[in-house]
Amino acid sequence: MKKCNNESKIDDYLLNRMSEDERESFEIHYFTCPVCFKKIVERNELISVIKDKGSIIFKDIQEPRQERKPSIFESITALISPKQWAVAAVSAALILVIAIGFAPNLKKQSPQFFINDDLVRGESITLISPVININSVPDQFTWKSSGKDVEYKIYIYNSHPLWTTTTKNTSITLPEAVQAKMVPGEKYSWQVKSFSPEGTLIAVSRKVQFQITN
Amino acid sequence: MIGSITDIELDEIITKYRPIITFKVKKSIGGQTPDWEDIANEIITNVIDKVKSGEFRGESSIGTYIFTITKRRIIDHIRGKSKILRHAPEVDPFPQPHVYFENKEKAETLANAIESLKPKYKEILYLYYYKDLSREEVAQKLGIPPNRVSERVNYAQKLLKKILKP
Repeated sequence: MKKCNNESKIDDYLLNRMSEDERESFEIHYFTCPVCFKKIVERNELISVIKDKGSIIFKDIQEPRQERKPSIFESITALISPKQWAVAAVSAALILVIAIGFAPNLKKQSPQFFINDDLVRGESITLISPVININSVPDQFTWKSSGKDVEYKIYIYNSHPLWTTTTKNTSITLPEAVQAKMVPGEKYSWQVKSFSPEGTLIAVSRKVQFQITN
Repeated sequence: MIGSITDIELDEIITKYRPIITFKVKKSIGGQTPDWEDIANEIITNVIDKVKSGEFRGESSIGTYIFTITKRRIIDHIRGKSKILRHAPEVDPFPQPHVYFENKEKAETLANAIESLKPKYKEILYLYYYKDLSREEVAQKLGIPPNRVSERVNYAQKLLKKILKP
């Protein structure tokens, strides 16, 4: 519905809180303003019912006993109209959406990994080789260091765990017995986890898949 | 312009202004006074006659013109009743709802809707309309700034409209 600047006068008119001149001027206005007249009728119905049935409608109301002054916060917030609040809320939401959208690009996200069913956050280990399909059985697996005095645990899988070992280096040489189990055409995957000297898991790599294509 | 107002347009004018005239008459002389209906009808007949006879020359808006006719007729009525006219007619003390509600059920439904409002909104309607406190007095009682009073009242009415929406 359209708005009219004179709408704020409706209560004063209906509650007889206007001077004679103000009243006449407002009456001339609503004779020519359908927006105001419609609202006058609605408000008048509301007031009429309240005046007539107020004792029933408000039977449970306990009048506020203590008068209090508006707090500084309330006074400040009163300066801002509901429309301005709405604009501010929408702007804040937009900023939040943009911030969330760009955040992953600004800072590398900490990885999440699971031990049993517990979610753990930590640094990631970058696997170097092999990370793509290869044409012969790999004899060495290499990854990036994730700190000093770290012990790495390497896992190699086909459909099931195939082999696992630990080392303090950032590469391992695959034993011939294990190499013998790996056949061309099969898909394998591997993963590295690092542990602190106290045995605490501190980083996990992605599980990288490769295929021996030969 | 007078000559250009057709019967159809005149019908539209009357349809539009009948409720406004009726409202003004009821507010000025009191809806419980049985005369209001006759007076409103007289004003409407008067408007039709004046427009048809060309007395309305379009110098002011039709709304302002009808207001002037309405106001004069109300003054005449009060003068006839009291024989003394010192000022424009005194406004009537607030009338009973049946004056404005043709349908009693509607008033009942609205009352129930008010009762179902949250305490925050009921409280403001109670202080502002039922207790007839000024905006400033309500603001002081509730500890809110005065401009928040009107905002809250308006919002309460919005909620009522939502509740009563068929």
